[in-house]
Amino acid sequence: METLALIETLDRDGQPRQILRVSQWPVRIGRAIDCDLVLDDPHVAAHHATLAWRDDGLHIEPAASVNGVRLGRAAIAPGSSPPLPASGLMTLGATTLRVRLASEALAPEQRLVDLHQHERRHAATLMALILIAALWKGFELWLATVPGTPSSALAWGYLSAPAGLIVWCAVWAIGSMLFQRRFAFWAHLQVALTWLLIAVVAEAVTAQIAFALSMPAIEKLGRLVFVGAIAMMMWHHMGLLLPQRRRAFAIAIASAVTVGGGLLLADRSLQQEPLIGDLYLGTISLPGVRLAKAVPVDAFVKSAAPLEKTLSQWAKPGDDDDDAPSEDEE
Amino acid sequence: MLLNSLLRCRPRRLLALLLAVGLAPLANATSPSAHLPAAPASPLAHPAAAASAAEQDADTEDKGNLSASARRIYDAGRSRLLQVRTLLRDQDSQASVGSGSLVGDDGLILTNYHVVSQVALEPQRYRLNFQTVDGVTGALQLIAFDVVHDLALVRMAKPPAAIASRGTFEFRPAATPLAQGERIFSLGNPLDVGFAVVEGTYNGMVERSFLPQILFSGSLNPGMSGGPVLDDKGHIVGVNVATRRDGQQISFLVPAEFAQALIARSAHAKPITVSVEAEMARQLLQHQQQLTARFIALPWRETKHAHYSVPVPQEDFMRCWGSSNPSESKGLSFERSDCQMDTAIFINESLRTGDLAVRHEVYDGSKLGALRFAQEAGQSFRNEGMGRRTHDLTAPKCHEDFVENAGLPMRTVMCLRAYRHLPGLYDLAVLSQSVNGQTEGVQGRFDARGVSFQNAMLLASHYLQGFAWKRSP
Repeated sequence: METLALIETLDRDGQPRQILRVSQWPVRIGRAIDCDLVLDDPHVAAHHATLAWRDDGLHIEPAASVNGVRLGRAAIAPGSSPPLPASGLMTLGATTLRVRLASEALAPEQRLVDLHQHERRHAATLMALILIAALWKGFELWLATVPGTPSSALAWGYLSAPAGLIVWCAVWAIGSMLFQRRFAFWAHLQVALTWLLIAVVAEAVTAQIAFALSMPAIEKLGRLVFVGAIAMMMWHHMGLLLPQRRRAFAIAIASAVTVGGGLLLADRSLQQEPLIGDLYLGTISLPGVRLAKAVPVDAFVKSAAPLEKTLSQWAKPGDDDDDAPSEDEE
Repeated sequence: MLLNSLLRCRPRRLLALLLAVGLAPLANATSPSAHLPAAPASPLAHPAAAASAAEQDADTEDKGNLSASARRIYDAGRSRLLQVRTLLRDQDSQASVGSGSLVGDDGLILTNYHVVSQVALEPQRYRLNFQTVDGVTGALQLIAFDVVHDLALVRMAKPPAAIASRGTFEFRPAATPLAQGERIFSLGNPLDVGFAVVEGTYNGMVERSFLPQILFSGSLNPGMSGGPVLDDKGHIVGVNVATRRDGQQISFLVPAEFAQALIARSAHAKPITVSVEAEMARQLLQHQQQLTARFIALPWRETKHAHYSVPVPQEDFMRCWGSSNPSESKGLSFERSDCQMDTAIFINESLRTGDLAVRHEVYDGSKLGALRFAQEAGQSFRNEGMGRRTHDLTAPKCHEDFVENAGLPMRTVMCLRAYRHLPGLYDLAVLSQSVNGQTEGVQGRFDARGVSFQNAMLLASHYLQGFAWKRSP
């Protein structure tokens, strides 16, 4: 017999749990044995609803029940029998059903996103990233220690970062497990490594350039790149969890950065602190890195004159906030 | 190094002082009589017991006579001695207490500025009160102050009828200076436990102090601030002001001449009813003008480093301390010099000003190599605190660049903060690190508190011009 439709009983994740092939209308749905589709749901009536074919298509005809039938969030008003919505989704009691009609146009086939395959393909990239990160971390550690530091002390410092990274990626992978049924550890590791590297390298490089050219603004730019890279990392992590929600995540992260950043800027401005970065450029590099010319003392002091105007503005009475913290000297 | 502690008694601060300085070191002390909190009266009741061995050796008089003269001085002065109390405006709780002396027969009283600072700065929150030895009390009005020398004049709002009969303290004539070792007597109300006379020795002026102060070898305690110090004839030679927490019987007095000058200037002035900030700023600007002029007139000292000349001040009115890390250290070796003035001007509990500090560190990173040295040098450049916005000061605003002087290129940052309530005054910090050495360098920092903008620029120039590169060692 010709199949007119499929009625799928969906589980909480939206996956079909039970499928009924329909070869003739109407279809009676309920808990009673004599229904065409028998639902094992205590919130469904013995005869809950009927799907009937009319001239203009399939209609839902709710029977008398306590919980009724809902389309999306809207309950069907008693006595009415609306047409099936385009999504084909309806909820009876606590059970969600999806009706697929044979006449529906099929969506084109989608390319398979196989995370494991993805990981295999990116294994070389990942190895390269791990190598770069290891070298970077090693260099950082070497810079910060004095000759003759015991190797055990070095090892602790060296291992704490990868350990933290593993925990971080494992937590995200558990998230993937929840939504994607895959423990996508390597994919998350690649996301984390890529963006963390971009963040720290951008910060370090801009600090060096800022020193070379004597332009503190470049270092501040580096801080912005750092924040941007961390935001991108979060977005990619979240995108791996629920790829179909990428847009929503982008909006959420952009709003969080905007609101958080805005609050931070407002606070810093209130405290008369520089909006981004430190009070002054703290980088000292090798003598050969310096490109900017040094100015004579007189010229330097002379060009500090505009400070007076800013400071006299800052010192102006007005909103005399006595709650400002006082410096404790003793 | 410990700061001078001002002799004003404040209950909460007092506990901290006793716990931090009194109790901990004295837990193992052999002499329980020195235990101030447990037996506060003992050192005062037997002043001779507190006298040092040197004093006992030098003095030919016997102890009976010494105590007798203290008694005579106290008896003669007690009617003119007072406690000056700062009370909350709307209740009788005391916020702090100090001492004072009657110096005018209309009820004019000499005390320290820091005793009345709360009333001077926040008259809407505090008021002043006095109590004499015989228990007469009344309200006080602020007449004048000398914030630089920490002196103030207050007057009784309604002098008691018999005020003239109390008499006033006389000052010792400038023509007859005290000799070192002369016995002098400090009067006041230590820790609010009762009026007391403390015997001690005049030991000349404090050395290397920009603001003249008398070194008094006697035990001053919080609460005695503003009390008179008398010679053998009962004439004022100074005013109690501060003591060193890290020493014993190292106390400081404001010389009488500044008190006399203030009285001559302002004895008949009307009570201050407007904000004191403009007058305070005027006095501080005058002080910083003198300080800057004297400091800039002094040449920098010669430094012994093979490659760097570093600005190190003369020790005319500064004191320098040096330190270095052990030579077997595998990391950065450094030598540090830290020069500062002993005298800072008290404005309020959280603000001292009117002083200079110069320090530097010379780095040798030959054990580190160029990259690690640059890292360490940057670390120490970054770590310098420039302060944050407070009730008294704005946040720092900085100017930075590479600066070259006498062949030495440096990364230099110059930060200023403005005083929010004292117009025209700034704190200056100049931080400079050499950037021409692969594995050696020098970092210097200069701080000036409470200077005009123009003088801040002068001082910054003067400081940076103290750096130089010595081409051939």
